[in-house]
Amino acid sequence: MSESMSPPVAHAAASPAQSPFPYEGPDELRGPIAAALQRVVDPEVAMSIVDVGLIYGVTVAHGKIHLRLTMTSVACPVADVIVDDVENELDRIAPADLQIQVELVWEPPWTPARMSERAKIFMGW
Amino acid sequence: MQAATTAGSRSRRAATPAPLLMLAALMLVTGISGGLYRLGIAPSAIAATGWLGRAGLAHAALMIGAFLGTVIGIERAVAVKLRGAWLAPIASALGGACLLLGQAHVGAWLGVAAATLFAAVNVVVVRRQPAIHTALLWLASVAWLAGNLLFATGGGSEAVLPWWFAFLLVTIAAERVEMTRLMRRRPVAHPLLFGVLALMFAGAATSGFAPRVGGLLYGLSLTALASWFLLFDIARRTVATKGLPRYMAVCLLAGYLWLAVGGIGWASTALGLPLRDIALHALGLGFVFSMMMAHAPVILPAVARIKIEFGRFFYVPLAALHASLLLRLGAGWFDAGLRSTGAVLNAASIALFAATLAGAALAWRIQHDGPTVQDILHG
Repeated sequence: MSESMSPPVAHAAASPAQSPFPYEGPDELRGPIAAALQRVVDPEVAMSIVDVGLIYGVTVAHGKIHLRLTMTSVACPVADVIVDDVENELDRIAPADLQIQVELVWEPPWTPARMSERAKIFMGW
Repeated sequence: MQAATTAGSRSRRAATPAPLLMLAALMLVTGISGGLYRLGIAPSAIAATGWLGRAGLAHAALMIGAFLGTVIGIERAVAVKLRGAWLAPIASALGGACLLLGQAHVGAWLGVAAATLFAAVNVVVVRRQPAIHTALLWLASVAWLAGNLLFATGGGSEAVLPWWFAFLLVTIAAERVEMTRLMRRRPVAHPLLFGVLALMFAGAATSGFAPRVGGLLYGLSLTALASWFLLFDIARRTVATKGLPRYMAVCLLAGYLWLAVGGIGWASTALGLPLRDIALHALGLGFVFSMMMAHAPVILPAVARIKIEFGRFFYVPLAALHASLLLRLGAGWFDAGLRSTGAVLNAASIALFAATLAGAALAWRIQHDGPTVQDILHG
């Protein structure tokens, strides 16, 4: 669903020097991956999954983009849809020879402390 | 839980079995038909068939347990990814089918089995993530079980309906509590919610043997819950966005207002005022169906693997539902004819929403997978 609406929170393209989540891999992919993930929006909260703090880390190595992702609730039926959206967005920017692997993880549990500053401002913190 | 794709391909995950989705849809259609039949609105040819009379008798059981219970059970099964979790929605849908086929006893006990299995699934959810919102999901399943046990053992609607609605209300409250974690925690929010839910359960438990007191407590809890949602829910913030998040927030906020109306109606009915239709349908249609309309564009892709192209046209069935409810519960209170017209338009609004979802799914396919002009021109 990320394709069918624009995120309500203004997102600048991530700076190549800095990722909003742990990143290990070639510098030239850091910016495009961060920008791709910013385009995946959780419609319920009107924020990018990066701003909500759902991305635990991205590693690009051995011909693979490996991404660790969490959800705010284990009872969330939309998890697979968000995983699909992440895969589709990464698919658009990844070199064709790179495999994309999205892993849904629950440890450590998500807490509001993981939200970005602009997400907190949007939610009235 | 890993999903791996190579760039240029897409993963495919299992969707809800089509027969189960079709059975859930059948429960909705027959439940609505039964509701219209109760109001004396049914073509004579159909009215002569046995199932419609049985759907009329089982209207609430079909709408709450067989339709919404099945949909919620499917949602949870999709989330927990356990094969056994599918048994709960299968049992609730089959229970509804039995009610329609004249096997009321079997249908009612299948409902008990469904709620028991669903409660067990929610124990798994709580064990995976011990948190307030998961505990509330489990509590909601217990309310459903209580209502279904009362229904199966011959409890009257005064005793059963508060529990059935509590199942839906607490399920929704759990989801909203989860969302409020994104907002700055207000120390009074959780104690207030626990107080409201305690009042709701006290009202539901009392309604079976002291309907006046129980109904009053229950109605007060509904209005208090509406106030809680209006004070603490993130919809107050997301309504200022655009696109799908704004649409969802509009649905939620409109639903909260109907919940408040339903609470006043419920308490007034307990005190003897003729407001039963307002109590039941401000709650069931105004609140619960607004929640359903809010989440369908997000949930449908999750449970049926059908992508949706959101557009402003989603506001049309939403506006139609709320306008027809105003007609039914407002003007209809003074005029039985307007009440019936409002009820027919309620059903038409839900049909329009189903058509909207189908159109939005088609729009997505045309936009993303459909043939290009070149393909068409060159065969």
